[in-house]
Amino acid sequence: MDIQQIPLFSLLSNRMSWLSARQSVLAENVSNADTPNYIARDLRPLDFANILREQTALRPASTSPNHIAPRSGFAPEQAQGEGGNPTGVVSIEQEMIKLSDTQVRYQTATNLYQKAVAMFRTALGTRSS
Amino acid sequence: MDFFSALHISAYGMRAQSGRMRIIAENLANADSVSPSANGDPYRRQIAAMSSTFDRELNANVVELINPIPDQTQFRLQYDPGNPRADTAGYVKLPNVNALVEMMDMRDAQRSYEANIQALEGARSMLVRTIDLLRR
Repeated sequence: MDIQQIPLFSLLSNRMSWLSARQSVLAENVSNADTPNYIARDLRPLDFANILREQTALRPASTSPNHIAPRSGFAPEQAQGEGGNPTGVVSIEQEMIKLSDTQVRYQTATNLYQKAVAMFRTALGTRSS
Repeated sequence: MDFFSALHISAYGMRAQSGRMRIIAENLANADSVSPSANGDPYRRQIAAMSSTFDRELNANVVELINPIPDQTQFRLQYDPGNPRADTAGYVKLPNVNALVEMMDMRDAQRSYEANIQALEGARSMLVRTIDLLRR
């Protein structure tokens, strides 16, 4: 059986890839903090409706290896500030908060993953810590 | 993989900030450099310029240092008639470097460098955590 077919695991791996994509977008923002005219970007929040839309959306078929493939489905967009207004310039403080937020969420996801695996081990009856 | 690209993006940022530090150090070191010839201009302050370029391999906007821009503000004039570089009125042209401005710029570069290190640390700890899933 494919482990990805278990809903919890597919949800967690989806979550983890979203968080890692976000981490690189945030790293991009931080490294471009002193670039003139650079606009801060962020990923669209991961929610069920978004996932559903991406799963059911029509995609252009890539028939040649030269075609540009969309990357992992997470497209960065202009970051939203307070009140839904675009933030424009990079605020280092805000980026740091987002970075630590991403890390905490990632830690949660990996811990849940480990717990789920431990639960399977218990069910299988093998000796494990 | 996203983590490695995050590490590379942060490394680009750190490289740009250290290049900026080099330009600031150059400005500070040349704060009193007069012209080598009789009627020439002294050292002109350089401004570090950054630009973001799209890296196709990383699929991200990375930051790079471009050619520094010369500062077009006026040179400082100091009255020193005994100096061999003095003009007919007795003034010597000194570089347009302001140590205070350079210091502030240096602090800014340091803070930006630290922010990049933080982002790198974050990506690294997430990577380590993922590899730790393989244990046990």
